[in-house]
Amino acid sequence: MEYAKIIIESTREIFSSMIMLEVTSGDPFQRGHEKLNNSISGLVGLAGTIKGMLAIHLPDQTAITVTSAFLGMGVEEIDEDVRDAIGELANMVAGNIKSALDPKGSDIKLSMPSAVYGEEYSVDCLAHAQSITVPFELEGKTFLVELQIREEG
Amino acid sequence: MEFAKYIARATEEIFNTMIFMEISAGDPFTNGKRTIASHVSAMIGLSGDFTGMLYLHCPEPVALAIAGAMLGMDLERIDTDVKDALGEITNMMAGGLKEALTAENIALEIAIPTAVSGQAYTISSPSGSERLVIPFTVEQGQFIVEMKYSFN
Repeated sequence: MEYAKIIIESTREIFSSMIMLEVTSGDPFQRGHEKLNNSISGLVGLAGTIKGMLAIHLPDQTAITVTSAFLGMGVEEIDEDVRDAIGELANMVAGNIKSALDPKGSDIKLSMPSAVYGEEYSVDCLAHAQSITVPFELEGKTFLVELQIREEG
Repeated sequence: MEFAKYIARATEEIFNTMIFMEISAGDPFTNGKRTIASHVSAMIGLSGDFTGMLYLHCPEPVALAIAGAMLGMDLERIDTDVKDALGEITNMMAGGLKEALTAENIALEIAIPTAVSGQAYTISSPSGSERLVIPFTVEQGQFIVEMKYSFN
């Protein structure tokens, strides 16, 4: 299953159609237990015939840029608007990923999104799952889109 | 729909039959924007007749005690073993909730657990989502089971 390709297409599509910003993808890799600093992560679960979690990790400043573009208004800090916007961003990208994995639309559902944020935190893929991450560049800043998928068997 | 009852029951069963730790459920609460201070949070997505996220929030000493009891090991820091153990507990709690709701013809699918950890993080859900918090007391302190959900 070409997860990296699905992540890239889904992310680029959402950014160009909903956020009106160009993003460039980098090489997929496997995240370790790296800490995220002064960042915010939008997380959405996928449940059904494929089980997983989609995470978008953005440094604060990048999240602010994305939220400002998405909402058409200036934001200055990680406030409720940013948290909701990043959760919604994860929801939208996950929606595209789900459509690619489940074209019939009946076998995978999305959970409610969450946003995790702070000065320093880790988001870890756990046992029985594999994770693939694609870095993206937006106006000179980097953010990550990570898909965790339950391993078969 | 008795979420609090089902979640408390599922949690108690896991702790009685798999972890062998004494726990005592406190009164659930649904209000408040009070953030929960913890060092590790295992979380799992829920989707079906409602969407949600189920969380298990623990301060470090409680996380180490719970994972240690489950794995039969002495654990010193919040490492992969601790996160996997808490993730598995969250997965089982969601499974217990799903079973209880299925008996009421309420459909629920479960995603996969993930662990968030750190010294200073906050987890938020979409504005307008419902919230249910159940505190539990163990010998080493308190842990919290929280569910955010929406019927939209």
